[in-house]
Amino acid sequence: MTLPTHEERENAKQTLEYIRRTMESASSYTAMAGSGMVGVGVIGLIASGVAARLGDAADLRVWVPAAAVAIVVTGSANAHKASRMGVPLWSGAFRKLAWVMTPVLLAGMVLTIALGQQGAAALIPGMWLALYGAGVTAGGTLSVRAVRAMGVAVLCLGTIALLQPQWGGPMLTVGFGVLHVIFGILLITRHGG
Amino acid sequence: MAGSAVSEELDRLIHERIRLGIVSALAANDSLSFADLRDVLGTTDGNLSVHARKLEDAGYVRVSKGFEARKPKTEYSLTAKGRRALEAYLAQMEQILSAAREALERT
Repeated sequence: MTLPTHEERENAKQTLEYIRRTMESASSYTAMAGSGMVGVGVIGLIASGVAARLGDAADLRVWVPAAAVAIVVTGSANAHKASRMGVPLWSGAFRKLAWVMTPVLLAGMVLTIALGQQGAAALIPGMWLALYGAGVTAGGTLSVRAVRAMGVAVLCLGTIALLQPQWGGPMLTVGFGVLHVIFGILLITRHGG
Repeated sequence: MAGSAVSEELDRLIHERIRLGIVSALAANDSLSFADLRDVLGTTDGNLSVHARKLEDAGYVRVSKGFEARKPKTEYSLTAKGRRALEAYLAQMEQILSAAREALERT
């Protein structure tokens, strides 16, 4: 064959990179599992109910184990969906999502301790919701619109809970429970499970 | 520009960036809705419609229209012809790179 020009070579490299990137983002775009989100919602509803019974909406004895179970449920559901779709779980979008959510979760842990020590525990539900909502909104730019919409909704609930701390409990129920169930069902019905 | 034989043989239909994106995105999924495809490619409704129509006319993509919750929904999927076209295009791109690599090794 005729020797390719420098321009053709560069163009071929960029084109292959574009194809790889597009396939990667398209495959992980809908790989967020709705079933996992519904599972997280159910855990959120149970946890907020138990915490309310114990008299503290942000009771860490309830929410820390609930968060751990929720992470396992989400991870398993996403892994199952990715495997069903034949795409790698640790793809570009999931890697970026982990980079968005991990600092948010770590900041939430530090702020939980700090607010508790400073006698401002009433702000903890609002802070959790606001941080989680901000993380999901940012991470949702890599996924379908429903994920971003849920992030914004949770962020709004967090704002309300921060400005009106007495509503922290109900806001947690809606944010971590009801919204996850609703948006999870939306993902299941519209985005393949 | 005076291109090589390989670049002259390229499938011009999927060489265009948006059309290549449509075919690539569909190659990674059984099917994608119009909205998902538009968001993945970061393009406009009009642009996607025009390019998807060209691919549909060439038999590279299949379009199915239906309703979901009383709203119209358009689903796209890649046909066997479209998949073969993408594979051939990928092979041509790799051929360009390997020819360049061989030339480099000879020098």
